[in-house]
Amino acid sequence: MLMFAIRRIVISIPVLIGITAILFVMLNVVPGDPIALLMKEHASPEVIERVRAQMHLDDPLITRYFRFLWDAVQGDLGISIKLNRSVTSLIMNAFPNTMMLAASAACVSWIIGIPAGILSAVRRDSFLDHFFMGFSLLGVSMPIFWSALLFQYVFAMQLRWLPVSGFYGWQYLILPALVLGWSSAGVIARLTRSSLLEVMRHDYIRTARAKGLREVGVISRHALKNALIPVVTIMAIQVATLLSGAVITEAIFGIPGVGRISVSAIQSRDMPLLQGSVLFATALVILGNLIADMLYSVLDPRIRSQMTKAAP
Amino acid sequence: MTNKIRLLLATAVTSLILISPALADNMLRISYPEDPKTADGQMTSDSYTLPLNVFDRLIESETTSPGQSALVSGLAEKWDVSGDGKTYTFHLRQGVKFHDGAELTADDVVYTFDRMLNPKTKALGTDILTFIEGAQERLDGKAESVSGLKAVDKYTVEIKLGQPYAAFLALLASPQASIYNRAFTEKAGDQFGLTPETTNGTGPFILREYTLNESQMLEANENYFRGRPKLDRLQVRVVADSETLRLLFETDEIDVFDLDYAPTQTPYFYGNDKWKDLVRSGPRVGVYYYNINQAKKPFDDVRVRKAFQMAIDRQTILDKNFYGKGKLEDGVLPRGVACYAPAAPIAYDPAKAKALLAEAGYPDGVDINLQQVSSWSAKWSDMNQIIQAQVAAAGFKANIVTTDEAAFLAARKVGETDAYTQVWSADFNDPDNFFYTFFSESGSKVRAYNNNDPEVFSGVEKARSLTNPEERCKLYQELAARIVDKDAAWVPLFSLDHSYVVQPRVKNFVVPWNGWSDMSYYKVEVE
Repeated sequence: MLMFAIRRIVISIPVLIGITAILFVMLNVVPGDPIALLMKEHASPEVIERVRAQMHLDDPLITRYFRFLWDAVQGDLGISIKLNRSVTSLIMNAFPNTMMLAASAACVSWIIGIPAGILSAVRRDSFLDHFFMGFSLLGVSMPIFWSALLFQYVFAMQLRWLPVSGFYGWQYLILPALVLGWSSAGVIARLTRSSLLEVMRHDYIRTARAKGLREVGVISRHALKNALIPVVTIMAIQVATLLSGAVITEAIFGIPGVGRISVSAIQSRDMPLLQGSVLFATALVILGNLIADMLYSVLDPRIRSQMTKAAP
Repeated sequence: MTNKIRLLLATAVTSLILISPALADNMLRISYPEDPKTADGQMTSDSYTLPLNVFDRLIESETTSPGQSALVSGLAEKWDVSGDGKTYTFHLRQGVKFHDGAELTADDVVYTFDRMLNPKTKALGTDILTFIEGAQERLDGKAESVSGLKAVDKYTVEIKLGQPYAAFLALLASPQASIYNRAFTEKAGDQFGLTPETTNGTGPFILREYTLNESQMLEANENYFRGRPKLDRLQVRVVADSETLRLLFETDEIDVFDLDYAPTQTPYFYGNDKWKDLVRSGPRVGVYYYNINQAKKPFDDVRVRKAFQMAIDRQTILDKNFYGKGKLEDGVLPRGVACYAPAAPIAYDPAKAKALLAEAGYPDGVDINLQQVSSWSAKWSDMNQIIQAQVAAAGFKANIVTTDEAAFLAARKVGETDAYTQVWSADFNDPDNFFYTFFSESGSKVRAYNNNDPEVFSGVEKARSLTNPEERCKLYQELAARIVDKDAAWVPLFSLDHSYVVQPRVKNFVVPWNGWSDMSYYKVEVE
């Protein structure tokens, strides 16, 4: 298993380099000057030119790219043009906040999504099934900016139970986690339901029932373990996506996370910060997929055996 | 059921207790949509709340009445200007302490200005000091110090200019000219102003906490030389979403609601019985304008430019888009700037505009482009759509061209953008801030006016060095008439009011003279 993980990590290095190269070229092909954007209306051309030269933005593209790669290998992602701080420290400072939001939202989505999916599958076509599927459909369909405003209005403004926005303690995390978690819960609930329904049709489930096992045992010990494999994939990818920046949620609820700095980097053409954010997000998605693959092996011995064989 | 009600009540009470830290006594809670990035005024060009509250300047611009200001002594108790207008001698207040306890000396002032001009600093606000003798050599890395800066003794600073510049004192009152402590700032290096530990000023507030993209907490400076501020603390939150901002204000989590960040809420707050008496408003010393690029046909013909001026119904735009909260402007300067005088009104006359177009050789109308930027707020695109419809009556077939901001700025600096609308707010209270920016030889090109009128160019240069205020103001008024009426180089639109709504406990909240969102909170109180 360890060898499998190492091999996957090594394979992902060219992916990361490729992404930085594409991004570097794209950012330089599109016209625009980060210094002019930084200074906006009050920019005088002389100052723009001088600061550009001082920040080595005039250097040839290839020089800048290899300088970036060399520094990145050593853990230095450069200095943000707009924020004038180390990109590595900006991401590392913002990441715990995003991680807290992503973990809370993931917990909410799993706590709601998996039981809702199981109950819907077990009580197929009942009122409970329709209710949970309707609820999850609403979560998936409703744009986050809308559900966020709705939650803020009801729980913060009308009921005054929770703060509207900010990040000054755990109570500030409840609303954003619910909003973000609800939208993910819908996907998990629907996937759990369909996966469980499919598994329930298999012969070994019929055999388990024929042996006289109770329905709870059939579902928990035989059906659920297999049904959860695709759900785990989605869960791992969802966590990776949430970690790489729940942009809208962070903006509405004032959470100083990775999403906020990524948006700021895009708007201001802050190349070092944008490269760092993209590199970081890519690494997270790769890691998310790796964790999903490794969780498969925990859930399915056949995959574990294949992994062991595949590793040299 | 009783148990459920108890549970709900307990939850509500617990929630209120949890929220209560935000309702601290004697603390003002304000917000901005973006993080200020730094407290170092030399390193920013758009976020001045931290510099204005954590630092002081030699001279301060004090708001005397809405839209009006006066230059008053700051760290400099008094100053002398030589007869030739080139040498300024500042006599510093004695005993002024930085937040770390160090005393302010003339060497700190020399260091601060030298730091700004030192190319290693990579400062953004260098424009305000380029008039000092030797500044350009220092900026170009050809000198180790600035020849025009000198500490005469512990409390006297002498600044020599390359040539007289009438607006120099006004420039020194701008937030970029905040004064730093040499020893502390040198030690902090490029981290100066980025964290509370690396920030040290003489100002009324001390930066205590700074969480990027979240908030800053400022605390009263007990030893402030003008006297301790009335507030104990000032919390500055970053709230990017305008709807969230309104909810925060209505749930009493924010004390000051800046309507600039949610202009569509203007009618609600002005019309609401609870809030209408808590609206605080003042003129913004800034002019909305429509740029005309004479390098782009058909605007190379003055008759077409005049027709464009007459084809825009400015009052309708002011009423419909800005709820009538402002005043039409007809010159170059908006109300509130020194030397401002009402100019001859530009009449809205589509029939006459049509006749002018015909005279210019376009009897069947003419195609023009109006440029806008995708990331700018919707107010600009809304204005363009209205103007597109208005000018059609005169025969202009306007196409709206939308580009990315970076592409727009890149094209503008080489004078190649299409006509666009924007606003310019005063950086400092002097007409030069407007005339030189737009209608000097360099400004006209890089702002894409291409108004190549040699008389205007020489007049703008001459006005910079005139020391007689009356003569100078007269020249600016003549220049404004030439630029707007004879050259028809731009379309002045209007200046707006800047409105805020405050919680009932907020006292002494005055909109600053320039109408900026960034201001000093020294005199504000909360009950």
